[in-house]
Amino acid sequence: MADQIAALISQLALSNETILVLVILALVIVGAVVVVVTSRPILDIFPYLNPIAKVRARKGRLLSDKQIVELADTNSVEDVTNYLRGLDDYLPYLNEYSLEKSLDVQMADTYKYIATIAPEEIKKPFEIISTKTDIANIKALLTAKAVGFTNERTSELLIPSGSLYDTLDKLVDASSVTDVVAGLDGTEYSDVLKDAIPQYEESNSLLPFSNALDKFYLHSLLHSTEVPGNENTEKMYAYIGAQVDIANIKLIIRAKVDGLDYDVVSPYLINEGYQLREWKLKELMESQDVSGVISSLDGTKYSDILSNALTKYNETGSVSVFENALDSYFAEYSHSLSLEKPLGVGPIIGFLSGKEKEIKNLKIISRAKREAGFPNDKLQEMLV
Amino acid sequence: MVEIVLGTALAAVGAGVAVGFAGLGSGLGQGMAASGAVGAVAEDGDMFSRGIIFSALCETQAIYGFLIAILLLVFSGLLGGGSKGLSTAVGIVAIGAGAAVGFAGLGSGMGQGIVAGASVGAIVENDEMFSRGIIFSALCETQAIYGFLIAILLMVFGGILG
Repeated sequence: MADQIAALISQLALSNETILVLVILALVIVGAVVVVVTSRPILDIFPYLNPIAKVRARKGRLLSDKQIVELADTNSVEDVTNYLRGLDDYLPYLNEYSLEKSLDVQMADTYKYIATIAPEEIKKPFEIISTKTDIANIKALLTAKAVGFTNERTSELLIPSGSLYDTLDKLVDASSVTDVVAGLDGTEYSDVLKDAIPQYEESNSLLPFSNALDKFYLHSLLHSTEVPGNENTEKMYAYIGAQVDIANIKLIIRAKVDGLDYDVVSPYLINEGYQLREWKLKELMESQDVSGVISSLDGTKYSDILSNALTKYNETGSVSVFENALDSYFAEYSHSLSLEKPLGVGPIIGFLSGKEKEIKNLKIISRAKREAGFPNDKLQEMLV
Repeated sequence: MVEIVLGTALAAVGAGVAVGFAGLGSGLGQGMAASGAVGAVAEDGDMFSRGIIFSALCETQAIYGFLIAILLLVFSGLLGGGSKGLSTAVGIVAIGAGAAVGFAGLGSGMGQGIVAGASVGAIVENDEMFSRGIIFSALCETQAIYGFLIAILLMVFGGILG
């Protein structure tokens, strides 16, 4: 074969230099094609490898189910604190803050950390997720002012993290809820809070502020991944979309229990939804009662979850049954998403949802341990 | 200036292809493995030695390419001064040998880098994954070994070696 090619080359009567140039040119072209074709998947994976290793290291340090059960079995909040002091991830926080505040600060730091290390294409949603700290601080400040807490106690409520912490810390001295809103002028939350003032003054309830902030957060989050361009952004969109749908369902179920109309609730719904679009949300709100809402969800992935919780709701009459069922579903869904793209956004989603679940469970345990004689079996039931 | 015949020049191109593409694959793979390793070490300093092992795994493809390139350079007479002036046909065989180890090393290196990077992530989460990570990463070595063997066989039976 090689001899035939050599004979062909000599028949062409090309100079040695020409043959060399042609061979090199052919190899360059073949090489370029091979490199372009094979490097495409590499380029998708490469930005994720470093962040994935970092979050998987932290995921490995999350508390196991066994450890959570051990914590739930402790006798007091001091026991819980001492247990957590034995863990490197919690010790620095517990040296500085109370247990509850340590959990809040650690969660805030986790959001900030993920937003810092996330690859560029999914950075924006994680940056918006990290604003949860600011929103929690604004809500805490508004509540403190509405209830009339002292400045010292109000300061205690704030999580010392988030981009607005310094501004909010200065507003601890504000004399009223409306002063706090005025003090936030110029921030991204200013308009939504100002718009909620008339309703607040009318109802004398902080719910309009809380709902407006939640809607603003979820709306921003949903729009941060509007055009999924690849598998990673698609998974991110699904992760965020599920949060939006669950928030809408929770709001609708609460509205049905409180007997509210669509017009009252509509301003707080994320009408764009993800799988539950505006028409579906309207249909859900037009249902007679909670059972009707669940029937209307037939054919969606939320139908079975809520149907299973309906019996318990009928027994207890507590809406939290549905909320817990939806939270558990979201934790499972996030876990399944985390396995779908192991060399992409998956481990990041997996770690974040795992951390949120851990902090939520620790808060439940901490609150239960503060109540003397809180039954352990009830506590186990409350855990996510 | 030394006069080089076409066959020898083609063997030089083969040597370039061997080390170039194998090095490219190895470099990309090593970059991915090292990127994961740096992330792991940032969280857990004990991961340094294991990170180095996984990063070093992707070095082999470049070594295969380098060996074939050296053999081509020596036996074509470009290194060592004993130029025997390869025929054009043998020069083409040399390009085949270089392409075999080069392209096999490219694919193998990139594949190994992906697995090694993922393995580092798995180990930092669960220590027990180390041996399994090594096995999965080593699997991707086979393609480079095929390329290396074929390159050797081409050189032996194509009249370059021996």
